[in-house]
Amino acid sequence: MKWIGRTAEGLVGVVFAWAGFLKLLDPQAFVSSILTYEVFSYQVAVVCALVVPYLEIVTGVCLALGVLKSGSRLMAFGMLVVFVLLLAQAAIRGLDADCGCFGHQSGAESGYAWPIARDALMLAGLAIGLVFERLSRETESE
Amino acid sequence: MKTIREGLIILAISIVSGAVAFLIHPKAPSLSASDLELELEQVRELGSVFWVDARADEDFESGHLDGAISLNEERWEELLLGFLDSWGADDPIVVYCSSQACLRSREVAERLQEELGVEDIYVLKGGWERLLEAGMVSEGSQ
Repeated sequence: MKWIGRTAEGLVGVVFAWAGFLKLLDPQAFVSSILTYEVFSYQVAVVCALVVPYLEIVTGVCLALGVLKSGSRLMAFGMLVVFVLLLAQAAIRGLDADCGCFGHQSGAESGYAWPIARDALMLAGLAIGLVFERLSRETESE
Repeated sequence: MKTIREGLIILAISIVSGAVAFLIHPKAPSLSASDLELELEQVRELGSVFWVDARADEDFESGHLDGAISLNEERWEELLLGFLDSWGADDPIVVYCSSQACLRSREVAERLQEELGVEDIYVLKGGWERLLEAGMVSEGSQ
């Protein structure tokens, strides 16, 4: 049973690491994407564009390898919640925001439904990982 | 407690990596670029200015501010000659691109500063969208 949770978390980790790597290729393009959400100032957008890709890569690798497990879960959960909030506010305000979720790869993405759904799926992946780990721990202790 | 500690470790690794990327990444965005930004009202206070359109060629051809010269990174060498022919060196330069999220105007302004030593150069906050909003241009205006 434990493998189900590990697989779910591993997949979430791989998606995070891949998204971070793509953003890392062109931080300037990522700054542009962040600014389209009309939430952050230019300087904050620059700092985010430099730190967030590494945060995603480190978190993703930790999730996939199962190291710093609880910390990487916390960071992944936090980032996903922030991403959903940013996308939701852009949708509510009717902004034509560039998701920027996968660097240039996401340029063709339009609308907010799929990016929000994808983040929700990743949150579900984290939840599955946590639940199955607890279940297998309980089974082992019985 | 362990979760927070691990989360902080991930965050610290990401911040250090982001700082290193800021120093060595060839496409690292500049933190100071926004110092060049001026609101349209501030541009008006400058009096006579030399307008530079940093958008892509097709955007420039479909409409631009009256008197603006096209100068973008894609055809820098070719367009720079036209820029040098037209620029009188007396008027401050104001560069615009498509919107607030667009970085092209900052890149062009920084490059003119670096390569020609231009000091009196600014970036229009909001770009083409702001000019449209102010009624200074209309879609398709030449």
